[in-house]
Amino acid sequence: MAETFQNLLLGFSVALQPSILVYAFVGCLIGTLVGMMPGLGPLAGISLLLPATFGLNPIIAIVLLSGVYYGAMYGGSTTSILMRIPGEAASVMTCVDGYAMTQNGRAGPALAIAAIGSFIAGTFGVIGLMLLAPTLAEFALRFGPPEYTALLLMGLFILAYMSGGSMLKTLAMAAFGLMLGMIGIDVMSGYTRFSHGLVELGDGVGIVPVAVGLFGVSEILLTAGAPTAPDVQRPKLRDLIPSREEFRLSAGPIARGSLLGFLIGIIPGSAHIISSFVSYGIERRLSKHPERFGQGAIEGVAGPESANNAAASGAFVPMMALGIPTSPVTAVMIAAIMVHGILPGPLLIQQQPELFWGFVASMYVGNVVLLILNLPMVGLFVNLLRIPYSYLYPCILCFCIVGTYSVSNSLMDVWILLAMGAIGYVLRKFGYDLAPVALGLVLAPMLELSLRQSLAMSAGDYAIFVTRPIAAVMFALGAALFVFSLKPLFGKGGDWRASVGLDSEQG
Amino acid sequence: MLRVWMALLLGSGVLAAPAVQAQDKYPSRPITIIVPFPPGGIADITARSLAPGLERVLKQPVVMQNRPGAAGTTGAQVAATAPADGYTLLCHLVSISTLPEVDKLFGRPTVFTRDQFVGIARINADPPIMVVHPSVPAKNLKEFAALAKKRANDMIFSSSGPYGASHVPFAMFLQAAGLQMRHLPTTGGAPAMTAVLGGHAITWASPPALAAPHLQAGKVKAFVTWGGNRLTQFPDVPTFREQGYDIEYYLWAGLFTQRNVPAGVLKTLGDAVRRAVADPDVKNAFAKVRTPIAYQDSAEFKAWWDKDAERLAKVVQRMGKPEIK
Repeated sequence: MAETFQNLLLGFSVALQPSILVYAFVGCLIGTLVGMMPGLGPLAGISLLLPATFGLNPIIAIVLLSGVYYGAMYGGSTTSILMRIPGEAASVMTCVDGYAMTQNGRAGPALAIAAIGSFIAGTFGVIGLMLLAPTLAEFALRFGPPEYTALLLMGLFILAYMSGGSMLKTLAMAAFGLMLGMIGIDVMSGYTRFSHGLVELGDGVGIVPVAVGLFGVSEILLTAGAPTAPDVQRPKLRDLIPSREEFRLSAGPIARGSLLGFLIGIIPGSAHIISSFVSYGIERRLSKHPERFGQGAIEGVAGPESANNAAASGAFVPMMALGIPTSPVTAVMIAAIMVHGILPGPLLIQQQPELFWGFVASMYVGNVVLLILNLPMVGLFVNLLRIPYSYLYPCILCFCIVGTYSVSNSLMDVWILLAMGAIGYVLRKFGYDLAPVALGLVLAPMLELSLRQSLAMSAGDYAIFVTRPIAAVMFALGAALFVFSLKPLFGKGGDWRASVGLDSEQG
Repeated sequence: MLRVWMALLLGSGVLAAPAVQAQDKYPSRPITIIVPFPPGGIADITARSLAPGLERVLKQPVVMQNRPGAAGTTGAQVAATAPADGYTLLCHLVSISTLPEVDKLFGRPTVFTRDQFVGIARINADPPIMVVHPSVPAKNLKEFAALAKKRANDMIFSSSGPYGASHVPFAMFLQAAGLQMRHLPTTGGAPAMTAVLGGHAITWASPPALAAPHLQAGKVKAFVTWGGNRLTQFPDVPTFREQGYDIEYYLWAGLFTQRNVPAGVLKTLGDAVRRAVADPDVKNAFAKVRTPIAYQDSAEFKAWWDKDAERLAKVVQRMGKPEIK
């Protein structure tokens, strides 16, 4: 413990150097701005900035990039809350209740709680990284394909809890998402599926254009189709600060979201994406008033936002302790330190203590920077809503298209965005929930890959899922959840789900 | 953000540039290197390390453009259909030879072919290393092969993806040794390494730079390398040839352009790359990423590439495609 403390002092002596502080600040600022660009999320942000870091020293490079990373995580929630445009997969759940809060005139509190939740979760994540990195990383390695399959199946069961309105409609949407996720080259065999000869579809349908299209573009279309333009909001200062009641309601979701997000984040693979979905499902389940979800429940913002930020810190555990990137974002960060001649690996913490502890300290600093950067900006952001829709929406649509295109310079992504906007519009007119589509699309490729990887390992023997202890426990939990969620199908009169919709009724 | 705008500006600039400019002395405007993989990968790092050196020689900006997609196919297609004026280059890996072969194997229309390109230079060529989980009861390749023979189709190897840059060399070994092992494909080099570190697979053909820190920490052991000579970094790891296998494989990166680029422009580009790889800053950049320069000029590269591609095509054909039941 004393040693950790000493190391942390070393870290702070690095991180508090004025030049590094400036870069942490710049990183957070760029990240927030990038995150606010519709379609541009953390991955796009740090990929675009990566070449700029090659001329800097490795500590500055990683401080800058991690600032961009969590800045973008936060920035994405801003557009989700204000305009229903998710910057990336993790913000999809924030769109649902965050945007509903905006429509109720509570945009300020939603943004504030998202900032505070992210700060607490981020700080919790750093503490976890600092104290537990080596231990947890070894444990995370035991998550092979079978364990991963079990985890993702649990994610799928969560769908039942996310659903509002009719179970049939929810499952139909989930199936639609899963089907979209099947497009592209089959990673196990190399066969191309459902791509109709389009090379660009070989990598499948990206979550970002789909999410931005389904949620953002469809919202713009719906507004345009409304008989009268919605009133422009004029938020008062009083409305910017969360009420005592809102703080009280958010405490639990933030705490649970932080822990859950961190644990999911350390697992190799891209499971961190599902942390916000899982958090939302749990909060809805635990809530005494689940019918408020979808109508602007603050818990539906606090939980997922905390979970995705904690997961972002969690992803650094295997990266720092073992030198293994477990997500595309950490892969880019590893490249950023590799070009400086540092090979990330199991010995990194011993060989480069300034780098590791400087990084840890800079994350504490970065989280504080982000909070002081963003809390005062809440007022500014909320005032964006004063712009009349006839000016605001065309601009947003432009930004959506430019942002989506710039991620991989692909026109195909723009077409997907527009098609999804149209599909989202029609589906919402018919009262379907869109969140299950996003979850289905995220889960399908991961679940299919890990299931088939497991079977490749066992030569087709399904026993692999019960002979491995971690997988067996998780499957048992998942099965229990599943049975639990089936109950209302057989019970009389259904439950609360029968009477509420996840999205507020449109059109 | 800035880069997005810059890319847009440059993009519109390129569109607006009249075709007559091609008549001017080459190069008279910025040159684009297309990288068909995401930032941070070996192709990206190779191009980025080389670009400043090229800029100094050619006195023109050299702009990178990542066009990832379909394991490197999308970017190659973009470069293949670009105007043959020498302003669009392509930095591709060994998979430029295997991708069209895989398309052929699956009966798909080929998106691009090797003969749409001409090689300007080979930049680097690193042989992979076979890394093995420490729990495997074998001390060297011979014992490993014997064990794999005894436990036929029971041991698991991993790769960065089917028919990818680390699956092909492993298939070469299995074909040469007449072995059967289970294949656990993943979605990249890092996940494949993770699978071996976690013991979910026992071995894979790893790029040396990726394997080095884990070897150093004793998390994996190295049995053999696919190179013709031992790696300077790992003098104790023997080559397949020393072990009596007639196989050789390199994870190489080269710079290409469209086949119809005029000879004069090609010569300018070739000279520029030759001078760039001799640039101390460029050398230093490659040393830092532990990827030594293995330069070949256009003529050497052509002969070598043809031979390499022919060998790989045979391996891919022999690998066959999985049956669908």
